[in-house]
Amino acid sequence: MNQTSPLLQFAENLLQIVALLFMATVYTLKIRWILRFPQGKDRQAPRGVSSGPQGAKTSLLAIAMPWTMGSTRDHWFLYVQFVIFHIGVAGSIAMSFIIPYAPGVMRGPGVVLALQILFLAAAIVGLIRLVRRLGSSYMRSISSPDDYFSMCLLIVWLVFSALAAPNNPQVGEGPLLAYFFLTAFFLVYVPFSKISHYLYYPFARWYLGRTLGHRGVYPLVKGA
Amino acid sequence: MAAERSEKAAALVQRLPQKVNRQMVLSLAACAHCGLCTDQCHYVLANPGDVTYSPAYKGDRLRKLFKAHLDWTGRVIPWWVGARSVYTDEELEELKDTVFGKCTNCRRCSLNCPMGVDLATFNRMARGLLVHVGVMPDGVAHVAKDQWEIGNQMGVLQEDYLETLAWMEEELQSQYNDPNIKIPIDKEDANVFYTINPREAKYDPRTIADAAAIFHFAGENWTMGSDGWDMTNFGLFNGDDELGGAVAARVYDAVERLRARKLVISECGHGLRSTMCEGPNWAKRDLTFPAETSVFTMLNYIKEGRIKVDKSRNPEPVTYHDSCNLARSCGITEEPRELLQLVCSDFREMHPNRAENFCCTGGGGAMSMSEYSPRRLKSAKVKADQLKATGAKIVVTSCHNCVDGLFDLIRHYKLDMEVKQLVTLTAKALVLPQAAAAGAGSP
Repeated sequence: MNQTSPLLQFAENLLQIVALLFMATVYTLKIRWILRFPQGKDRQAPRGVSSGPQGAKTSLLAIAMPWTMGSTRDHWFLYVQFVIFHIGVAGSIAMSFIIPYAPGVMRGPGVVLALQILFLAAAIVGLIRLVRRLGSSYMRSISSPDDYFSMCLLIVWLVFSALAAPNNPQVGEGPLLAYFFLTAFFLVYVPFSKISHYLYYPFARWYLGRTLGHRGVYPLVKGA
Repeated sequence: MAAERSEKAAALVQRLPQKVNRQMVLSLAACAHCGLCTDQCHYVLANPGDVTYSPAYKGDRLRKLFKAHLDWTGRVIPWWVGARSVYTDEELEELKDTVFGKCTNCRRCSLNCPMGVDLATFNRMARGLLVHVGVMPDGVAHVAKDQWEIGNQMGVLQEDYLETLAWMEEELQSQYNDPNIKIPIDKEDANVFYTINPREAKYDPRTIADAAAIFHFAGENWTMGSDGWDMTNFGLFNGDDELGGAVAARVYDAVERLRARKLVISECGHGLRSTMCEGPNWAKRDLTFPAETSVFTMLNYIKEGRIKVDKSRNPEPVTYHDSCNLARSCGITEEPRELLQLVCSDFREMHPNRAENFCCTGGGGAMSMSEYSPRRLKSAKVKADQLKATGAKIVVTSCHNCVDGLFDLIRHYKLDMEVKQLVTLTAKALVLPQAAAAGAGSP
């Protein structure tokens, strides 16, 4: 039977629930704030074989179809980094629920190793992205302290995710404590930072796609 | 102590909340500053290393304002999230230089943003805020004034316009030796109400005559209006929705007054987008009639057998330049090509093309801002290289701004090419009915 300290139990359970509730509250307030702004209308007649909903679908799927955009097609290495980084982040978030509530899922050594490789790969990508942000004058010109801090936060969090993945408090609670406290901080900080783009982007894409689908721009026709 | 704000800066800040809608808020919040839009912009490609041309940088000018005034994180911790308001007239001038002089609102960055951030809409909105406080290039101010006061953006007086139509009618009658060819004006209950770009009346009336010949030989019941005949709309370029709505409403009113069944818009990218797509939103009215580009009308006449064409009459190699407004905002990419294949015998595709095409650099009202011409022509290198690679002798486009922009860059980069519109090539390819052919002279 696993013996965990009261501090780790608190970090794995109550702290996460409080942080999640805090995040949900801020998001609720943000949604209310967004809904205060009037919704633009598309009064023009529909055109082409597409439609608003079809365009929205195309737009939402664009992120998974790198060949449809020159920006991702021309920078496939950046796209691969994007995929690894975001899968790593999603995996780490999932792990914060799995460890306290379904630890059996991660019992196999292969699973732990795979997760550790994923988290470390994502952390390395994060580091590459941070270097790119610092090294490119274009990136520096659009970066705020929040951009740098968010990236650093995620890199550190991903490293501790890799260290915490074995979920072995008997060996030492340090990595798990660091991981769960960082996760809680992450959940609290996200709504105020650029990291919350994950929440807004589907809606931004949906609106853009709806308009462009209605006008027959989406799905894009590829040239010869 | 709070920083002093100039009168204009204060008015701009006051205007900001009225201009932001939900789509914009989500777009402003979704930008992850990934920088993938950077090299999708022709200005960036022509000015490597100058960060102020990057779409994200330009979009950030508005985002900073938005954060400073509408997002509480920006009000509480502005330095942390990059929020920044405007305080001085110099800052407004700097913003003017960016949004008018470094972007043609071509929307190539918007379509290449992985997050779906519509950066071109940010730029248009920033222009609208500046115009609201009277900060804009002189050319923009003059054109907008003409469109408000005279009713068209080139200040063409009604008598001059009507005189031009009468002149073109005489030309047509003489060319085809047929006194029955008319350019009807204010005819009620016509099938087609045809609107044009005032540039046609002022500089290029032959395109009106070409369109009139096509309508005539198609046996169309059509008319032009003595009022509401300008389908261009500077509201799209200066970000002034009120101007946009008023100009679009003039056209809609004319169509409804004459009880025309369909509005046909001559080849103009921004005119089509403004009149067909954005106009109803700006004017807050739903159209009671269908609207289409004359490219569709000409193509349908051929498909329906109402006119016959002979592609061997246009044997020179041609390529097609997709207008940004047609391709990226109205979804019109295939029909112009279909028509070109019918009226020209040697069509060569340009790369990249369709929605991925590069701007001609004359869009977004750039042709009216002479102070930025050197920048415009420098950025046109991207387009010039595209054109050169086709080996074509004629570049065809369905947009009057593109005609001017392309003409300028062809001259600047000394390309052996000319610019034409589809209406010209279609009119040239017309196979006249026997009786008409017998009387026709050389065009």
